[in-house]
Amino acid sequence: MSPAFLNLIETTLNGLMAGVMYSLVALGFVLIFKASGIFNFAQGVMALFAALTLVGFQTGQVPFAHLINAIFGTDLHHWGPGVPTFLAILMAMAVMVLMAFLIERLVLKHLVNQEPIILFMATIGLAYFLEGMGDLMWGADIKPMNVGLPSGGSFWWEDVTREWASEGSEYYGMYIDTLDVTAALIAIALVSILTIFSQYTATGRALRAVADDHQAALSVGISLRTIWVIVWSIAGFVALVAGIMWGAKSGVQFSLSLIALKALPVLILGGFTSIPGAIVGGLIIGVGEKLAEAYIGPLVGGAIENWFAYMLALAFLLFRPQGLFGERIIERI
Amino acid sequence: MPAEGTIAPEQPETFPQYLLLNARRFADRPAMRHKDYGIWQSWTWAELLEEIRIFSMGLAALGLKRGDKIAIVGQNRPRLYWTFCAVQALGAIPVPVYADSVAEEMVYVLDHAEVVMAIVQDQEQVDKVLSIADQLPALKKVIYDETRGLKDYDHTNLHSIDDVQELGAEELKKSGDEKWLESISKGDGNDLSVILYTSGTTGKPKGVMLSFHNLTVSAINANEFDHLDETESVLAYLPLAWVGDHVFTYAQAYIAGYCVCCPESMETTDADRREIAPTYFFAPPRVFEVLLTAVMVRMEDAGKAKVAMFHYFMDVARKVGEPILNGDSVPFGDRIKYWLGEFLVYGPLKNRMGLTKMKVGYTAGEAIGPEIFRFYRSLGINLKQLYGQTEASVYISAQPDGEIRADTVGRPSPDVEIKIHDNGEVMYRSPGVFLGYYKNDEATGKTKTKDNWVHTGDAGFFDNDGHLKIIDRAKDVGKLDDGSLFAPKYIENKLKFFPNIQEVVAFGDEREFCAVIINIDLTSVGNWAERNNVSYASYQELAAHPRVYEMIAEHVDQVNHDLAGEELMAGSQIRRFLVLHKELDADDGELTRTLKIRRSFIAERYAPLIEALYDGSTEKFVETEVTFEDGRKGSISANVLIRDMPLVPAKKPVLEAAQ
Amino acid sequence: MNAPIRPDTQLHTRADDGIATGDDLLVTENISLSFGGVRAIADISFDVKKGEIRAIIGPNGAGKTSMLNVINGFYHPQQGTITFRGNKRRRMRPHEAANQGIARTFQNIALFGGMSTLDNLMTGRITLMKRNMLWHAAWFGPAQREEIEHREAVEQIIDFLEIEHIRKTPVGRLPYGLQKRVELGRALAAEPALLLLDEPMAGMNLEEKEDMSRFILDVNQQYGTTIALIEHDMGVVMDLSDRVVVLDYGRKIGDGTPDEVRNNQDVIDAYLGVPHEDA
Repeated sequence: MSPAFLNLIETTLNGLMAGVMYSLVALGFVLIFKASGIFNFAQGVMALFAALTLVGFQTGQVPFAHLINAIFGTDLHHWGPGVPTFLAILMAMAVMVLMAFLIERLVLKHLVNQEPIILFMATIGLAYFLEGMGDLMWGADIKPMNVGLPSGGSFWWEDVTREWASEGSEYYGMYIDTLDVTAALIAIALVSILTIFSQYTATGRALRAVADDHQAALSVGISLRTIWVIVWSIAGFVALVAGIMWGAKSGVQFSLSLIALKALPVLILGGFTSIPGAIVGGLIIGVGEKLAEAYIGPLVGGAIENWFAYMLALAFLLFRPQGLFGERIIERI
Repeated sequence: MPAEGTIAPEQPETFPQYLLLNARRFADRPAMRHKDYGIWQSWTWAELLEEIRIFSMGLAALGLKRGDKIAIVGQNRPRLYWTFCAVQALGAIPVPVYADSVAEEMVYVLDHAEVVMAIVQDQEQVDKVLSIADQLPALKKVIYDETRGLKDYDHTNLHSIDDVQELGAEELKKSGDEKWLESISKGDGNDLSVILYTSGTTGKPKGVMLSFHNLTVSAINANEFDHLDETESVLAYLPLAWVGDHVFTYAQAYIAGYCVCCPESMETTDADRREIAPTYFFAPPRVFEVLLTAVMVRMEDAGKAKVAMFHYFMDVARKVGEPILNGDSVPFGDRIKYWLGEFLVYGPLKNRMGLTKMKVGYTAGEAIGPEIFRFYRSLGINLKQLYGQTEASVYISAQPDGEIRADTVGRPSPDVEIKIHDNGEVMYRSPGVFLGYYKNDEATGKTKTKDNWVHTGDAGFFDNDGHLKIIDRAKDVGKLDDGSLFAPKYIENKLKFFPNIQEVVAFGDEREFCAVIINIDLTSVGNWAERNNVSYASYQELAAHPRVYEMIAEHVDQVNHDLAGEELMAGSQIRRFLVLHKELDADDGELTRTLKIRRSFIAERYAPLIEALYDGSTEKFVETEVTFEDGRKGSISANVLIRDMPLVPAKKPVLEAAQ
Repeated sequence: MNAPIRPDTQLHTRADDGIATGDDLLVTENISLSFGGVRAIADISFDVKKGEIRAIIGPNGAGKTSMLNVINGFYHPQQGTITFRGNKRRRMRPHEAANQGIARTFQNIALFGGMSTLDNLMTGRITLMKRNMLWHAAWFGPAQREEIEHREAVEQIIDFLEIEHIRKTPVGRLPYGLQKRVELGRALAAEPALLLLDEPMAGMNLEEKEDMSRFILDVNQQYGTTIALIEHDMGVVMDLSDRVVVLDYGRKIGDGTPDEVRNNQDVIDAYLGVPHEDA
């Protein structure tokens, strides 16, 4: 194989890996949208918040240290060496469940039967609140995320792919980040678990029922509030996973919340109501971006990665407004 | 526990005797399955014996005696099948009745057969039988299978099978089963086994009396002919009262010891077949047509790539599928393609239709469209044709493996002699020949000669290879005014191959030309309409749509081209046609219960339309009475359009290059 | 021996609550409900006896559906009390009503359209799940065993309503009449003490109506389920119900057996005497 072709494969692979990350965030959106019709603007911030909390527990940070220090004139930073990673993940998850519970209690409960746009606004408020809360609790500095995931290029893969190049060509093998591969594997596991949960368990069925028809769900005795707590908890869980992955890749920082915006084109591509759509949409955006950057970028002076996804989504809207897997909009005359 | 089948004779002659034998030799093999509550429930032969014994003894306790007739009304439910054997064990005679016959039809059969008990499926059938009970002086008991809704009925002469079995179980506990076994051993091969009423195309139904000997010999021969043994499984989905079902799912099953599977309901038959994947399958051509139509409709909705793949591999199959099945030599490249097709197309398709494991399948009852027949054969499905009749215990002729033609019905079955009468009518003589029509010696005399030859009523001939070809009902083959041969069924079958056409009735005997009445296939044409933005509210509206007429005209034209290529038939091209404003329906008497058209009835009922076909008018207003499923009557009226067709000049037979 | 399950054995109405057939199961007292200034129900009292089929009839806008919504907790009346199985209350949320054994169907069918018939019926059993939602997030162990028990019960209903062939079909794709039947099935799956049917036969042809009537009668007879139904087709109402309550403009104007109601002058004036579209 010629080096040019191998480069194409490498770009595509890297695109797929990046796409997995987009998919993870988009997944959180879809879950909440399906179950409650709410477009959760705060999904990105939830990922940030989850990652911050995890790192905080892991490193033994004192929550609200700045606030406490400012009021009481103390100098608190850490209360100890921190808890083991595994435990920290569980604790962070517990915090996300608690958050889900509070969101239902304090926000959603009071907004039952409101217009979707109102609920959307509420999640914008939630996003700013969580962002501030994260800042207040754990500080605004960039933190490294180390949960023991492998990272760095895979030498084995480099060696393998070097052999593929045609005789005599100067090719040094493909670069692929093991962290990306891990992320992809975890994402696959996550989606499988979610699918099994929603298709084969009674709770999953109740979730689908609520997503389908609120009134009917009420009449068979499903408590909407319980369902919402469950859905937001799951979204919190997905956010935690996404937060870990993104955090491990580029550090836990506030720009992380902006990946939410990247998830938008993914949703347009995949459809707001389809879990497979979120996955495939993420992958398409990831691959599209990387390919465009590598092959079109040089022609237009680079930095294509920032806007390409939106262009792709826009073009898509023209042909398939319901998304790849969204329910088909049938108009009969 | 009572001793099981200790006194079963060495060579069984009756089905209860076979039951005892099977309970010993196949004790732990499945005898019957039934999908109920979403799960396949099953009974082994040993369990089947247990069930039938207490059922039978319960019936005896209720007073069923040797020689009594007992009606069986319902769909393919295990306990209705058990009834046959339970009744025969006592020397009584089961009389299965079509479950969908309306009360008036049922009265005739039950009264004529003088049944003393009726075993029925459910509340619907109980209601039906009770509504005619006062016209049935002999009827003493009604016994039902499904208890739903019957709780509050007067149970003096009404019992559930559960109760009857309980009664039998008590009897068994009290006095053992010696008497019952004795009654079975009294059974003789020449005894009357069953009376099957044929839903004749004309006149009242006739009760065909078959002896145990008739059925067992036919079944043994058939099992040997197709190498069937206890490992087969079949799906029981055809009417119990039809000889085909009786022989395939009762007689042959008891003799080979194979497993009979009852679907969950009539509507789930396709899904159940997929789950069971029967190894031995029998269906009238209509079932194969419906299956094929469903596939085609799905393909039309499929993506482009899928459709292209389907057509490509179907072309491959058409070319080499049959030769491969027949064991002929085929180029290696084609074999590879076929193998690939099996993986990509044929396999999934067969799976979809539930024919994956089918060792041998038969179609009979009517001629199957050659294209349909080849379609299944080319997929590697060993579909064969047979020719049979109730009066023959089914088998008259069948196609041996490797000698399959679309247009013949094979060679005489084992032990069957066939001759062609001077007038072209096919006659046969065999051990399966019926005893006679019940209480109708006149009809028996007309059908069966002194030396046991039976008139089939079908016209046919032997081709050069010794295969029998059936053209049509002997009385239906006629001549046009110009003397050309007119075989209506032949023309009808050609048209019916088109998925858009459901039913056809051709006219032409002693007339100037051939004209046809057509029923469109609502599924297929409806689908077409949806895709082409043709809106319609009813069958009637769709049938009258100009674009539908256009489409049907194309089909008719193609048939005319076909006919023009055939020396004998070129004269009977279709000159005019109309699409009927209603679907032909058994409830209106237009079809038989086995869904064959009743030609003379239709001719009478639609006389004005037929007249219009021949008087040159281009449309005709008619009003037709219809019967709804619940028995109410109403009428529909329509302005039916009539279309002229151009004739195709007869081609001289061309010597076709090496086939 | 592989004993097959027989019908009529497993489906019950909800727990024996000490109320004998013929005693009061549901009593509404002086219920009033208004939306803003519009009065939908004014001071209505009636009862439903255990084991009966009770019809609520009246012209359009008479407050029938509002009454049903009050009973199952969709609406909260401003005045009046409801006594169900001996418990008096003013207001209750729908899922609480469901938990106490009130199941219902809707005039305009509220099924989970994207889910299969089977899943719809299984969802109907949610109030009978012994463990809580967290338990049922698992698909192994006790949760799965319980799932199987519920599946068995649901299969009984599938058999009862003759909907085997659409077990796996998404209900959104079913024809109207079958959807109505599935909705009845979902309500039955809850093994309700009280079954509320809001126009179970609306929009059906004669044959479908006959089928549905048969199912309603069978449910009542076979399982002893108490049924309160709203229906427009007077023929059906008079055939099916043991007692009828007649509403008009949110007031009760008649109550009694079909014969009594038929001869009640107020009812004749308000409803029966006037030619009615749906009657």
